[in-house]
Amino acid sequence: MITVDPVIIALLAIVAVPFVGAIIMGLDRRLTARMQGRVGPPLLQPIYDVLKLLRKEPIVVNRVQVVYACLHLAFMILCVVLLALGQDMLMVLFVLAFSTIALILGGMSVRSPYSRIGSQREIMQMLSYEPILILMMVGIYLINGSFMARDILVSGKPLLLSLPLLFPAFLLVMTIKLQKSPFDFATSHHGHQEIVKGITLEYSGPFLAILEIAHWYETFLLFFIATMFWATSIPVGLLIAAVCFFGVILLDNIVARLTWPWMLRFMWTAGLGLAATNILWLYI
Amino acid sequence: MQMYIILPLLLIFGPLLFGVLVMLAPGWRFKTPLIVLSALVMIAGAVLLALQGSFALSIDARIMKALPLIELLIIAAIIYIGFRIKKWLVIGLGALQLAIGLASEMLPHAAHEHVSALNVDLLSMIMVLIISVIGSLITVYAIGYMKKHEAHGPEQMRSTGLFFLFLIGFLGMMNGLVLSNDLKLLAIFWEATTLCSFMLIGHDRTTAAGESAYRALWINTLGGAALMLASLLGAAGGGPESLDGLVAGGALLPLALICLAAFTKSAQLPFQSWLLGAMVAPTPVSALLHSSTMVKAGVYLIIRLAPGLGDTRLGQVVAITGAFTFALASAMAVSQSNGKKVLAYSTIANLGLIITCAAIHTPLAYAAAILLTCFHAISKALLFLCMGTIEQSIGSRDIEAMEGLMRKMPVTTVIAIIGMVSMMLPPFGMLIGKWMALEAVIMSPLVLFLLIMGSALTVVFWSKWIGRIQTVAYHPSYKVEDVPFSMFAAKGILLSGVVVATVTVVPFFKRIIGPMAVAAFSGVEVAPRSWDLMKSVDSFIEWPLFAMLGFVVLVLLLTIKGINKSHVREPFLCGENLEGARTTFEFRSLMDKGESARIRSYYLNPLFGEAHLTAWANPVAMALIFVMFGVIGK
Repeated sequence: MITVDPVIIALLAIVAVPFVGAIIMGLDRRLTARMQGRVGPPLLQPIYDVLKLLRKEPIVVNRVQVVYACLHLAFMILCVVLLALGQDMLMVLFVLAFSTIALILGGMSVRSPYSRIGSQREIMQMLSYEPILILMMVGIYLINGSFMARDILVSGKPLLLSLPLLFPAFLLVMTIKLQKSPFDFATSHHGHQEIVKGITLEYSGPFLAILEIAHWYETFLLFFIATMFWATSIPVGLLIAAVCFFGVILLDNIVARLTWPWMLRFMWTAGLGLAATNILWLYI
Repeated sequence: MQMYIILPLLLIFGPLLFGVLVMLAPGWRFKTPLIVLSALVMIAGAVLLALQGSFALSIDARIMKALPLIELLIIAAIIYIGFRIKKWLVIGLGALQLAIGLASEMLPHAAHEHVSALNVDLLSMIMVLIISVIGSLITVYAIGYMKKHEAHGPEQMRSTGLFFLFLIGFLGMMNGLVLSNDLKLLAIFWEATTLCSFMLIGHDRTTAAGESAYRALWINTLGGAALMLASLLGAAGGGPESLDGLVAGGALLPLALICLAAFTKSAQLPFQSWLLGAMVAPTPVSALLHSSTMVKAGVYLIIRLAPGLGDTRLGQVVAITGAFTFALASAMAVSQSNGKKVLAYSTIANLGLIITCAAIHTPLAYAAAILLTCFHAISKALLFLCMGTIEQSIGSRDIEAMEGLMRKMPVTTVIAIIGMVSMMLPPFGMLIGKWMALEAVIMSPLVLFLLIMGSALTVVFWSKWIGRIQTVAYHPSYKVEDVPFSMFAAKGILLSGVVVATVTVVPFFKRIIGPMAVAAFSGVEVAPRSWDLMKSVDSFIEWPLFAMLGFVVLVLLLTIKGINKSHVREPFLCGENLEGARTTFEFRSLMDKGESARIRSYYLNPLFGEAHLTAWANPVAMALIFVMFGVIGK
């Protein structure tokens, strides 16, 4: 096997990942448009958007929000780097949590009721999905005997076969993290959110671009984790990611937004129940 | 006499001496230098002791013979207090202690002469450092705080001199507690800390203070009785009356009794009420009780006994009890809007986590327990000191009232934010500890599940709080608030402590804590998987985290200056923003009327309300304690 310098892998991940993320987002917009009977924007529209945002005048409400925007992006990148280096996956989750909390605090740092409500709801989202993600890593450990991402293939068997109930739970998490209906209450891709743009409302220009780029990384990260469920064969893994992608967008277009108390209840019963059941039989 | 004999004595009795001097000193002109001097002496003593290396110290048999007398005096003090405050419960518990004490005097002491009375090893050195350094900083902070408190506090409160006697003396008693190996000596220091905390909590002599002090007294006296009973049973079984004797002996009943004592001292469910009540005391007391002293005595004991708990059912139940406290106390913290109460519940939760780690019986968990003890002490002390400053300035403990704090006291707010972040996010020590804990308990599903839920809840209450205090409109510059130098210095040193501890967490683990855990578990049977986990954590590379953080700081330093008033816009309010409004939450609504939008945080009271969670959590915790004793007989 060819060994590549980890620094090169990391740099490659930092540069290539946002493009993949942007293309996934572009595909999302196309597919959504088709489902709604529209033609939709060009595939690279997310990149065009961000390039335009970056050239705009920096407008802020205060300086604090800039700090958090940068932290959000930096730690999102760090997640991808750690994963690319095959590091401990629990740590990756904690770094991801850091990134999300930076986003939340950025939304709360401004005196805007909409942004604050968005942040509060984002906290509730974290509370709903964080335990499931950690349980997923526990499941992976129980199969592979290691928390390291580089040991993902150790068991030689696709994870999906051992974690069949954790996979739908992860799909729910993915729907929340991608800000899709019925869970898009902190912020939404669509312009019909009752709290306007929620958590990202007070960001504009280059700082909004930073958040968008971070979202590319995050999108990639989520689909990458989806492929890990069948890491033994890359085509099957990609197929699984594609099915997830289609499922999430379909769900986004056919269901209405619900409320966060409903989400918390649902995720702590159905989501956590699925995950815990799956973990339980791995222990026995 | 050699240096190594003087140092422990200095650390134990020095504070008492300084406390008396401070009490007798007239006015702040003499008190202030004495307090600072005592802090310097303590810190120097602790550092010298750490440099000295491990040793054991036996005390002259004649002095050891006097110990029962001292014990008797302390019990008499407890009973006297019971009569003074007219509480039969305290008198009864005092009488129980007396009975146990007398019974143990009836027994022949075969092994007594052979044990070393004081043990200075790595664990006690770390504890002495925590107590002496952080505790002393808190006494320095108390100078500025008590000056204000004297002026604004309730009229009937005790004299400030007496306050400092107990505050500084407390540190000496704690040092004694973590250094003693002899169980009799341990029990004496244990009761002494209980008495100190009773006096400190009751300092203001208000009705609330009186009640809280009473609760702290009876709960901790109960723990003290359990500890004495453990010592008695150890002696009755012919075993040695020392901590290392208990660890080596492996008799489970004394261990369980000591765990019970630790639960009371560390305010684990169902004994949490005394620590919650303790917040009525002046803030330096809370800071001391929560960070470096008192509650740390409990977890210290369990860490000390951890190798002895072994892979027993008892250990498993203790771990579950700790994890249960961690999850439930975190949930209760979510529903609190009183800042001090949030801090208190977070302390209770983290102590539960430490106890779980100590009891789970893997080297990695043992290391995590020690790491968490250190980092929790620094961060929590810092947070309490910030909380005290904030409370004295805005006159409220309510988190909702802390809106706009960034404008009023920018330095304190930034320090508080760093303190809170250090409790929950990477790369700070607490998170590293929590990460190690999660990996270490992987083979105990129930414990793991409780820890996962607790961690998720932890993030909720901290981020809500940070979000509240940092909210700010644009200001080109900030006016630094006026805080007494002593308070500022203590916070500054603790803040640098947090930063230094964070940067050095991995070397600290690799050089000191890791080898300690390996040594503690050498020759003890543990699952081979837990050694693998230890190795995997050992190979953790932390530099990308710091590199990224450094990179962000660099980018921000370069860009943030470029943002000025011309880039600033008012937030969107779905209506015209009111010109010159006090807050930008005010906007023009129908018929040009000014309308103010107010956003409260979520407290999830129906779900996590303190009253109804406590109503079932306390009985469950109580049941777990019964189970703890039940499994011994099995």
